[in-house]
Amino acid sequence: MGKQSGAKPSRPGSVSVPEGAVSSMPEDSTLVSKALKGDRKAFEMIVRKYEQPLTNYLGRMTGEREAALDFSQEVFIKVYCSLGSYRPAYKFSTWLFKIASNHLIDHWRKKKLPTLSLDQPVDDNEGSLTPQVPDPGPSVARKFELAEIRQKIERALESIPAAFRELFVLRHVNEFSYEEIADIKSLPVGTVKNRVFQAKEMLRKRMGGS
Amino acid sequence: MRDCWNAESFYLYLEEELDPSERREFEAHLARCPSCRGVLAERRLLHEAFTSLPPFEVPPDFALSVMDRLPEPAEARPRWLAALAAGTASLVVGLLGFFILTGENLSDVLVAVIRSLSSGFGRLLPLFAKLLKVGGLLLDVASGFVTMLGKGLVALLSSLGTEGIGLILGLGLLLSLLLFLGAKRLLSSGEKA
Repeated sequence: MGKQSGAKPSRPGSVSVPEGAVSSMPEDSTLVSKALKGDRKAFEMIVRKYEQPLTNYLGRMTGEREAALDFSQEVFIKVYCSLGSYRPAYKFSTWLFKIASNHLIDHWRKKKLPTLSLDQPVDDNEGSLTPQVPDPGPSVARKFELAEIRQKIERALESIPAAFRELFVLRHVNEFSYEEIADIKSLPVGTVKNRVFQAKEMLRKRMGGS
Repeated sequence: MRDCWNAESFYLYLEEELDPSERREFEAHLARCPSCRGVLAERRLLHEAFTSLPPFEVPPDFALSVMDRLPEPAEARPRWLAALAAGTASLVVGLLGFFILTGENLSDVLVAVIRSLSSGFGRLLPLFAKLLKVGGLLLDVASGFVTMLGKGLVALLSSLGTEGIGLILGLGLLLSLLLFLGAKRLLSSGEKA
């Protein structure tokens, strides 16, 4: 998660930490255990470890850096208050992002922002997005640099339904595996794969139109 | 070509999510299908961009600001409260058990216990007073007070009778239970915070 521009993904669901810090960084379960005993430094280490990936996720979901930072703070406070309910049998990052995802959903419900159920069929401007025989479609011009494509992706991301955007971000920004995303969102793995694909196709088509 | 793979497979191929046999089949198809090679090249560029979106900048003091906003940790756990509650409950339950099992008059039992305690204190306190040779007078007064208190309690218990003692024990049990539950709640709220 939280990789630098152009960096090769290290491992799905992994967390970017400064080089050299990996060996000295205690396990999440150890940090949680210490934090539960009142060790605030241990919780601070958790915050430092996850502040970047969490803000990347919330930033893409809200579209605003300041809002993302506010949400990140709120999520960390929720996590702190709920640490007692964390079970080490589960991966901590999955648990944390589940809290973040639920926090966003609560926020949208309160604001009455339109949300889209993942069970609904999706139609975008160009018709139903179901897997189909490859269609070369409008090819992405090779002359553009990756940076320009990324800018287009960022703009297009804001226009796709939040439920699809979230799965795309968890997969490609935070580098969670499909299985981990299925855990976070309580969805079947096949559904997650299909929805991430649909999100990418939506982005591709919207970028083509921009 | 008629056997072209669907669009989702191109992404799964790039993410190395196809199983080995599917991957081989997919690559074999690519080798003979220029159209799919074109699609793959396009999706590869997109995939590279998808997986390299820049991170949002997090201020260096972000973690500290989170720590400042955390709720204060719970106060030191009042373990003595739980111990006191458990001790009181044990005493009450023991006395009740004795009363039920032996059928002895509870007031007699209590009177005997208090008498022995008060006489024990009565003997010990002057001994301490002699040993210390300081404040002997005060300890004598204290001894007298304890003896008087014991006598007072004996008189009170004798006048209350079995029902009165039962009532007091019941109230004691209830109080112990409340103390225990309160202590447990304090402990659990400490854990949450």
